[in-house]
Order: sequence, then C-alpha cells, then structure tokens
Amino acid sequence: MLAADKALEEDLFVSFPFAAYIPKTVTLKPRAGNPPPRLQETAAGLLNSIGLANHGIEAFIRDDLPRLEPMPVPVIASIAGERTEDYGRCAAMLDSRAEVAALELNVSCPNVELDGRALGLDPEKTRQATVLARQATSKFLIVKLTPNVTDIVEIAAAAVDGGADCVSLINTVHGMALDRFSLKPVLGHVTGGLSGPAIKPVALRAVFLVSRELDVPVIGMGGVTTAQDALEFMAAGATAVAVGTASFRDPLVAAAMASELGRLIKEHGIGSAGELIGVAH
Amino acid sequence: MDAGLIPAELLQCAVVESRQVGAYRLISFVAPQIANLAHPGQFLMIRLAGSELDPLLPRPMGIHNVESDLVTMLIDPVGKGTARLAAAGIGDRVSVLGPLGMGFRLEGDAPAVLVGGGIGISPLKLLARALAAGGREVRCLLGFRTRKEAVATELFSGVRIDVITEDGSIGRLGLVSDPLPGCLAREPGKPAPEIFACGPSPMLAAIARIARECGNLAQVSVESHMACGIGSCQGCVIRGAGGYLRVCSDGPVFDVEDISWQ
Ligand SMILES: Cc1cc2nc3c(=O)[nH]c(=O)nc-3n(C[C@H](O)[C@H](O)[C@H](O)COP(=O)(O)O)c2cc1C
Ligand code: FES
Repeated sequence: MLAADKALEEDLFVSFPFAAYIPKTVTLKPRAGNPPPRLQETAAGLLNSIGLANHGIEAFIRDDLPRLEPMPVPVIASIAGERTEDYGRCAAMLDSRAEVAALELNVSCPNVELDGRALGLDPEKTRQATVLARQATSKFLIVKLTPNVTDIVEIAAAAVDGGADCVSLINTVHGMALDRFSLKPVLGHVTGGLSGPAIKPVALRAVFLVSRELDVPVIGMGGVTTAQDALEFMAAGATAVAVGTASFRDPLVAAAMASELGRLIKEHGIGSAGELIGVAH
Repeated sequence: MDAGLIPAELLQCAVVESRQVGAYRLISFVAPQIANLAHPGQFLMIRLAGSELDPLLPRPMGIHNVESDLVTMLIDPVGKGTARLAAAGIGDRVSVLGPLGMGFRLEGDAPAVLVGGGIGISPLKLLARALAAGGREVRCLLGFRTRKEAVATELFSGVRIDVITEDGSIGRLGLVSDPLPGCLAREPGKPAPEIFACGPSPMLAAIARIARECGNLAQVSVESHMACGIGSCQGCVIRGAGGYLRVCSDGPVFDVEDISWQ
C-alpha cells in the first residue's frame, strides 16, 4: 500500500494484501473514546463512533512499535491531533523510529470534536498541520482526508502544498441511525461515520477528482469489498487501494482480492497495475 | 487492519442440522477445529458464506453445544443478520471465525446456579455440561416471555431446571431473577453458590443487585454489536468499573463487579 515505491506500484497486485500495515490512529494523549454503543450496521454499511480510542503515542512507541518491528511489511503510523501543533510533535517523536516506514496524518476522523470541527474540514488548518509534520520528519508523509467537505480537491491541494507526498481518501462519511423502536439515536455519540459498500460511489468520486487534479499518488479506500472494486478505484486514479470494513466481513478478503485483481487486469487487456491507474480519466 | 492478528480458525463449514426449537432456530455445522477448542461462554463470528452485502458483517453467536465434530448455535431471529442466519438450511455454507473471547471460569467447587433469560440460555448448555463433568452441583433457572420460547428447555434434559415465564403460560409466573435469592443460601460444609448468568441487560442488572445483596460470586455474559470480534476495533465496548471494556476480547463473560451497572 506504500504508494511511493515504484516497484510496488508496477506490481501492486502481487503484494497487495500485505504491502503495508497501518495500525489504528494514535494521539498525543491517551483517549478513552466515545460512550457506547459505538457500532451499528446499516444497509450494506457500518456506522461507527469509536472516537479514536487509543493509549497515546508514548505507549504506542514504548509498547506497540517493538511488537510491530518483526512485521514482514512496512508499518505506516497513523497520527491525529486536537490542534495543528500536535501533528508536528507526534511526527517528531516518530521521526527517529526505524520501525515506522511512513506517517499518515489523520486529519479526518469525524468522531472527535476539535472545536466542533475536524481539522481536515479547513484547507488552511490542513496545510498547517502538514507543514508542521513536514518540518519534523523526513519520512514519507501521507495525509488522510475526509469526504465531509464541499470541495475535497481544495483540501487535498492544501495538504500537497504543505508538503504531503501522498493523500489517502476517504475516511468515513457523516451519518446516524435511529433505534427502530425508541426512535432515538442508536450511537452513544449520536452521530458517527459510515463505511463499507454503501460509501463506494462517494469514495470513487473523491479519488477520481483528486487524482485528476493533483500530481501525488492517491491511496483509495471506502467500501472496497471485491477485486472489481479495487480495479475500479485504480482506474479512477488510485495508486494503491486500502481495505477497512470488508476485512471485518472476511479477514482474508484482501488475499483473495489481490489474486483476482491480477486476473481482472489481464482480462481487460491492461499490461500492468501501473497502466491501470487513472484509465477512467 | 490488524493484519498480524488474523486467527487460524477462519473456516467455511457445511450446515448439517437446522431445526426449529419453539421460537428459536437450532443450527449445527461440522467444524472439528472449533469443537476441539471451544470453551463454555465463548462465541463465534458467523455469517452465511457468499457475496451478499446486506447483511454485511458476521454476527457474534454464542456456542450452544459441541458434540465430537459438531458445533451448535441457537438463534433468536430478531434482526436482519440473525434472521438470515436462522434461514440457513442443511447443505448451506457458513463462514465462521472462532472460538473467540473469554468464556466462563470453571474453577472452584461451589454449587452452580445458572440463570438464563430468553436466548441467553444458549451458552448455559455447554456450561452446565462442563461444570457437571467437573463434579459441581448444577441447577438452572430458565426464564422466557411465553411458553413458545420455553420450548427450548427441552435442550436441557438431564439438568435440574426451573422454568419461569413472564405470562405464566408455563412454569412459574414472573421474572427469572425472582426465584434467584432463594437459591443462594450457603449449605453447611459447602461454599456459597456461584451464579453464572446470560440474558438481556435489565436481567443482568437485577442479578448484579441480588449477587451483591446476598454476597455471592457471579459471572455474567453480556452482548454487544461487534465488527472485528478480536479486540482491535474498540467498537464493542461497555462501561466497566474502571473504564471501557471490550466485550469481544475482555469478555463476553465478566465478573459481575467489573461492570458498571448504572
Ligand atoms: C471501526 C472503524 C474504525 C476506524 N478507525 C480509524 C482510525 O483509527 N484512523 C483512520 O484514519 N481511519 C479509521 N477508520 C476509517 C477507515 O480507515 C476507512 O477510511 C473507512 O472505513 C472507509 O473504508 P472502508 O469502507 O473500507 O471501511 C475506521 C473505520 C472503522 C469502520
Ligand atoms: S468487536 Fe472489535 S474490539 Fe470488539
């Protein structure tokens, strides 16, 4: 999934399922997360309001990184902040860690209220957070974007302007569900983020628009469940494709998807995964 | 995704038994790997195999029983996912991950009082067998809404059971927690009875109160919506006495005092 690696890009489908590993997002301070219930399945989708529950970056560095070191694939650390400065501080703390191949700035979690708004809703804050992280590390920098904006291309451009090597999209789509008997919100946090097949068209559009306008590689995700989905995301302009919710459905789905993707690419008469990228443009 | 955590016991299995037991559906499939490992109170993440996207995710299902190669579940078809599973016929294939979670702790020699409410009776079958095999005295209080659900008591042959229904259509009239205090007295020369319970949360809250008042140990099995089933997504948490607890990996069975009952 590491988009910068040219060899991987050429031959993406071969190592697709295990090309990189992104542990759950960590923050400067530990976070307990949102009150339960935190999950609700909807039509072909999953609503969640986890709220970035994590034990903080210090514990991540002390306890998790040594455990991740023997992983056979690159580890991409995902970090989020409550303010732009947090991204610089977290990036600085991870810069010297050899176990971390790249950093992903999660500016898009819909489940944490940062003065009421996810940082990634604002182009200037997105740029600033990226600049601060860029100054703190020489590692490959990915910025993960939210679809809950009017113009995602503007936000992506701000991230690239701030020094991002790559953008990843999309995070979950704002949503909610009501209890069918009480007619009250199901989630303890009232609203949550929607993932899974239900959001694929939203994600595909975002990948298409951003990759058409910008010169950095795009990691596409949002509802990818089958090899056909992966094929379409790459055709829409994704250099790499990530799988979230579908892995809950079938933990081995990415392996099956990868081998099938190879077959699909051939079937379409396309020479390599690299040639597939952006054919929809 | 937690690629490092993909467990080995992800199987596709054939359904070999599917029958109605009153209001519930009993479904068995062949899975020697799971049957060998299963401990009372553990669960499976299970869905019908295939490409259907709605329902999307597997559902957590308690293990009702294991018998040589066979694993049995009992399903109350309350929602889309459970109804779809309950409609599985003989020969259909299910995709199963398990066994998962921390089950009931069996050590000790106190008499055991098992309390099940509705579909919460499901894990008590394997538990009753395991406790009895360990030489413990076992009795079950099984509570249901009506006699339709109470048909499932036929699955507990050979165990001492009391049946309670909310409409009094069979057994004692009332809630399953009503007769519990009368079962908790300590007999001379024996430790105080230990409670093992599974059922809806108001029932478990009542049992927590009774266990505290009567001074008995209690283990309870709780439910939650799940996504990963293996402790990584943090989606299934409940409020614990000292912070959030993951039902899938810290539980589903907890000591009653580890849970916040507010
Ligand atoms: C339970 C759950 C937890 C998530 N946690 C994170 C997270 O910690 N950091 C992050 O960047 N995205 C997180 N996401 C968003 C996913 O990475 C992904 O962007 C989104 O779910 C869309 O992809 P999918 O449809 O393949 O799941 C989470 C999604 C779900 C369902
Ligand atoms: S269901 Fe994912 S942590 Fe429990």
